[in-house]
Amino acid sequence: MLEPVKLANFFIVFFSAAAVILFGATYALIFAWSRIKARPGLMPLAYVAYMGLFISVLVLAFAAHLFHNELWSFIVLLMLAGYLIAPHAIWHLCIGTHAETEAAPSLNISQQH
Amino acid sequence: MAASGHSPAITMNGGQKLAMKYFTVAIALFGAQCLFGMLAGIQYLHPDFLFGILDFSINRMLHINAMIVWLLFGFIGSVYWLLEDEAGVPIVGLPLAKLIFWVFTLAVVVVVLVFLLVQIGPGKQSTIWLITEGREYIEAPRWADIGIVVCVLAFFYNVAATFARGRFTHIGGVLVMDLVALAGIYLAGMFYTPNISMDQHWWWWVIHLWVEATWEVLVGCLMAYGLIKTMGVRRQIVETWLYIEVALMFGSGILGLGHHYFWIGTPEYWFTIGGFFSALEPIPLVAMVVHAVFDAGHHKLKSANNPALAWIIAQAFGNFFGAGVWGFMHTLPQINLYTHGTQWTASHGHLAFFGAYATMVIAFLYIALQKWRGNVWMGGNLVGAWKWKWAIFLLHAGMITMVMAMLISGYEQSQIERAIEGSTWMGYFAAQGHRWFLQGMYWRQIGGWVFSAGFVLLAWDLLTIGKRETRSALQVPGE
Amino acid sequence: MSETQALWWASTSFWRKTAIWVTAGSFVVLIFLTFDTVKQITAGGKRVPAYSVINQRIDYKFDEKRNFQVPVIGPEEPLFGKKVTEAEAEALVSHGKLTTQAKNCMDCHTLLGNGAYFAPDLTKAWLDPSWGAKETREQTMVEFLVHPELAAHNPLGRRMPNLKITEEEARATVAFLKWMSSIDTNGFPANFKPIDQSNAPTPAAAQP
Repeated sequence: MLEPVKLANFFIVFFSAAAVILFGATYALIFAWSRIKARPGLMPLAYVAYMGLFISVLVLAFAAHLFHNELWSFIVLLMLAGYLIAPHAIWHLCIGTHAETEAAPSLNISQQH
Repeated sequence: MAASGHSPAITMNGGQKLAMKYFTVAIALFGAQCLFGMLAGIQYLHPDFLFGILDFSINRMLHINAMIVWLLFGFIGSVYWLLEDEAGVPIVGLPLAKLIFWVFTLAVVVVVLVFLLVQIGPGKQSTIWLITEGREYIEAPRWADIGIVVCVLAFFYNVAATFARGRFTHIGGVLVMDLVALAGIYLAGMFYTPNISMDQHWWWWVIHLWVEATWEVLVGCLMAYGLIKTMGVRRQIVETWLYIEVALMFGSGILGLGHHYFWIGTPEYWFTIGGFFSALEPIPLVAMVVHAVFDAGHHKLKSANNPALAWIIAQAFGNFFGAGVWGFMHTLPQINLYTHGTQWTASHGHLAFFGAYATMVIAFLYIALQKWRGNVWMGGNLVGAWKWKWAIFLLHAGMITMVMAMLISGYEQSQIERAIEGSTWMGYFAAQGHRWFLQGMYWRQIGGWVFSAGFVLLAWDLLTIGKRETRSALQVPGE
Repeated sequence: MSETQALWWASTSFWRKTAIWVTAGSFVVLIFLTFDTVKQITAGGKRVPAYSVINQRIDYKFDEKRNFQVPVIGPEEPLFGKKVTEAEAEALVSHGKLTTQAKNCMDCHTLLGNGAYFAPDLTKAWLDPSWGAKETREQTMVEFLVHPELAAHNPLGRRMPNLKITEEEARATVAFLKWMSSIDTNGFPANFKPIDQSNAPTPAAAQP
């Protein structure tokens, strides 16, 4: 069953949905930047961005009544987990795909984990 | 890659010469898209403008069809551009390819003339066959549909046979499979049914599976070739990532079709399928962000072609905001119930088509022009660089103005027309007459003027860039 | 510098296979869903009624269980006062649908929410209160479609152009619109306020 968004919550839905994507990208950006430049000090900032995403997803979920239904609740949980893991996974993939035939030592990207 | 030779005839291969023809038509049609978009926009502000002569429906139809066809011409041209280079052999059927170009162009001209001069017909099958099919984006009459399929099949034959004779690279393989899908999916839109639900169900196969699946993969192939050629990224890395992108895009895009099946009579299970895959669709974008940062830090990027690089960066941002942010803002059915069929959709459509596709074709045009003008310098201090810089600025400023204006109009419309008044005739016009809506349309028009100015500058730049340049291009260590 | 040390999950061949399997898998799922969806949206089913539904009253009412408005098929109320067979109804609706395509309606209006945004949505046009009384609605619609440029539409000055719609095409278009209003669109458009179709003559309907 679908519960449409209440008129008063339209703006919240638009705003939080946009924030989900923007925080997701910011998290990915700072995460990758911190790793490539070997600056672990930046990593907490990445997780601050993820917290922003986390809150935005929850706000979106409440405003769009997503927790009133199991399937939609599952999608919410999947987004929370998926966006957390995705940059890590993609990062490993980057190292894996680039490392194949290249000499690795020029970069100390895998040291911090 | 021959570096010298100021006469294009020496260094250009057959496919590349043909590509320049496609690019020329593409840019002309891009101009037509701007023109008819402007006319349609004016009609929002002055309803009597060209009333009964060139009505909104005709302008709007030409506006969106010009876009589809110019992007298609841009894609086909780009593929012909890279084909011989990538396959390592001359195009198998170049005379056929040239013939098809003229047939295709002539068909487009005839269709446009019929749209302009005949416009509509009686409610009979003959109208659908000869004048217009009257279905958004695929209004082209049935004879032209068949022509398009024949042209795409001839194109497919040339691409597949050339790769088969030369070397079948991974880029080539993905490209060939994608073209099969591109041609096959178009067939889903070529039938008549009185049942509007059935009609729109299959219509979305064409629109969605083109725009949100096969076109994306095609652009992925072009991007892969561009990265190897202009930035010297190692082929194996690029090709692995092409497959990763295909997996992510088709994995989220094919069943993402569900987000168009909320309100057209299709069953309720599409709500969750559409919602689920819409939530997944930003994942490829996040992947690109991480990978771009990785690449930027990993390789010392040396750009041999600044305008192309600028447009590729614009593509990354445009795709992210247009498809990602603007798409996700209104894609969940809980809110889409109110935004579906309002200026919201127009706002998203403008930014996504421009950001994801127009930018990529323009980037490829600059890559092609560099060689066409004799492999000239297009790095820093390029002679007359202000033109491409101002063009990219004006096109983006215009686009962002239009998109924000339509967003505000759409926001008002979703509330007053859709939520409060329930989409009745009265509700529709109550929303259309609202201050926010009217001001939105006014600013949209200003954005349109700015965008059109950007187009004129872009066209001028494409005609002249590199002509007065005597330095030869920066050599990128390829492969 | 050796290919052998390549990580299997980062190799081109692994991702090639993944891309093929993901694409094929998604497509197979789509095909299965398509079979089911096409069955459910074939005219004559529960979601998309048979064309002869134009012989009956169609309303749009809130359904507590599904939590949105759904089309309700009511008592017999033939279009233009003439009951038609299923075959006649299909021919009429089809002629109307062809007319909407031939006149390019979709590049100003939206149908089921898809199209252009220059004119109102037509999904429930048959039920729109702007047609006045339900007794005169059919005729009002036909007259409007034949000469839309003469009618006052709105304070904005935006008008529908004369699209050379014949009386016959107009009647068929009305049949198409009536049939379209019976499609179960999962509650789109929401909060729609349909024309009063109760049997008791309303004060508005009593006026000529």
